[in-house]
Amino acid sequence: MGGLAACGIGRGVQGDTNRRIEPKVDGDLYYFNYSQYINPQLIKEFQKKYDVRVIESYFDSMEGMMAKLRAGNSYDVVFPTAEYVQRLVQQEQLLRIPRDKLENIDNIYGYFDDPWYDPDSAHSVPYSLYITGIGYRADILDNMTGSWNDLANEEAAGRIYVLDDYQEALAAGNLRNGFDMNTVVEDELEQTKEWLTSLKPLLRGFSVDTITNMSSGNAWIQHLWNGDIVNIRYRVDDPDAYQFKKITQDGFPVGSDAFAIPVNAQHPGTALLFIDFMLDPRNAARNVEWNGYPMPNFGQDEAFAELAKGDPNIVVTVEDLETGDQFANLPQEDRELWTNTFLEVKAG
Amino acid sequence: MSENRFAHLMLLPAGVWLLLLFAVPLGIVLAVSLGTTDPVYQAVYGWHPENFADVFDPLFGPILLRSLLYALATVVLCLLIGYPVAYYIARFGGRWKTLLIAIVVLPFLVNYLIRTYAWVAILSDEGLVNGVLEDVGLTEHGIRFVNTPWAVIGGLVYGYLAFMILPLYAALDRMDPALIEAGKDLYGNRWQTFRHVTWPAAFQGVAAGCVLVFLPAVGDFVSAQLLGGPDTYMIGNLIQQEFLEAQNWPFGAALTMVMMGFLLIWMLVYLRSAARASRETAL
Repeated sequence: MGGLAACGIGRGVQGDTNRRIEPKVDGDLYYFNYSQYINPQLIKEFQKKYDVRVIESYFDSMEGMMAKLRAGNSYDVVFPTAEYVQRLVQQEQLLRIPRDKLENIDNIYGYFDDPWYDPDSAHSVPYSLYITGIGYRADILDNMTGSWNDLANEEAAGRIYVLDDYQEALAAGNLRNGFDMNTVVEDELEQTKEWLTSLKPLLRGFSVDTITNMSSGNAWIQHLWNGDIVNIRYRVDDPDAYQFKKITQDGFPVGSDAFAIPVNAQHPGTALLFIDFMLDPRNAARNVEWNGYPMPNFGQDEAFAELAKGDPNIVVTVEDLETGDQFANLPQEDRELWTNTFLEVKAG
Repeated sequence: MSENRFAHLMLLPAGVWLLLLFAVPLGIVLAVSLGTTDPVYQAVYGWHPENFADVFDPLFGPILLRSLLYALATVVLCLLIGYPVAYYIARFGGRWKTLLIAIVVLPFLVNYLIRTYAWVAILSDEGLVNGVLEDVGLTEHGIRFVNTPWAVIGGLVYGYLAFMILPLYAALDRMDPALIEAGKDLYGNRWQTFRHVTWPAAFQGVAAGCVLVFLPAVGDFVSAQLLGGPDTYMIGNLIQQEFLEAQNWPFGAALTMVMMGFLLIWMLVYLRSAARASRETAL
């Protein structure tokens, strides 16, 4: 038992993050992502173009992804959010990406040359941008104010969902109360907790099943991400009835995620080819049309502008990235404070 | 080889399976429950029994109580629905018995998660049931069936009904029909015969069914997650949240061990009652 005392469960993998890798086919691609996050047509075309198979696995949360990676599972390409890229880089779990070998890398917005979460963008390539806001039924509700207080809209009582995500839920409360989105001041978190708890009689639930909730009619107001509203509109008979509010007056979470190659990837060459393939302007354009989330890639600017024509709210600009609120990588005790606060909201 | 040796050898595969896939993982969960988390959210073994003290935080009292109440409601409803079905098939099924039981079991070959999602689709505000109600003019925007405590209990009943029907059917089928005739011969009416003959004779089936439904229902998290609202949080959801979102494996493991301990008590009660009953019938 003494020898076990120093053991962790799923220690993570040791490896050389500076291993030299080249974009060339070196086996099938083991892909690990949220489900429904890349246009399946593009995956099929990648398979055909390079004569490889793409073996897909899915996670539904960053924590789920981390658990699988820590247990030593080998994937070739994963899609962590910015905060988790930073965490993985600090734990030396990502391979260095040879940017000079990627043909389409110059299409990426300059903001990502040296982002806060990955100095010199050495270990990741940005994938998509997203913002959190409120989706609502414009055909039923006409009193939306564009503030986080809309989550307490009495006219939609019993048909409101808040995201079942401790960061998103607390962020909405913190911003509504005028605090720093990433605050760890206990008093402030207590006030956010009280506000969220006061919402519960009006809520239908805490859920990340945003698309089903809105398209099934269960939700008149749903706390969700910008790309979700695009997906919802594809599924319903009356797309204009489903609108998205970008909460500019209180502030809103903005974020990005990225392609990354884990240190124990067995086919990093194919992974690099895949990243380059997705950065190709034509593929990026087709991806955002399907996905609804903008990519920080000049090649998709026109396609996304077309998509956002009827609804400028879903646009995420570089200015949003520079001035907006991004989730910080909180140290352990602060993160526990946040998760416990949300637990008290849900259980209380 | 001697019969005894042969019997012991036949136990070996199941024994090994139980040891490797049940006893060892259980031991690991116990070890994790005494551990702690390091700054990179990895669980580390150690000696931290205070995790168990945290389980008894008053915040979690209502969640535990709610889980027990939902599970009890599920058992009662499963019994009310399952008993007549099992009784009918056992007593009046005749040569269709096997087919009827197969029909009862068939939906349960579909994964539990998908069956629960099907309920979401059927009972949504703009789903099948509400669609009909809207056409008929009984409602404007749909009646809220899902995301309520009754939807969660309904999902639990639907999920575990087979575990009630099958043991009940087995017990009722095993019962000698002559006993019922004897009851009627002794001037018992239908209700008295049921109360004094059928119910006690098949009671072990009832007990088995109740245990098989109650134990998993307490720890269920799927039903509450898909069909529940903000106030239907169950112990299973809490454990899931601690493992995934909070990345607090030791606390989740401690909750699991306490819940298992509690359920083990009921399991032992059932086993003792079953052992006593089989001794009595053997006499």
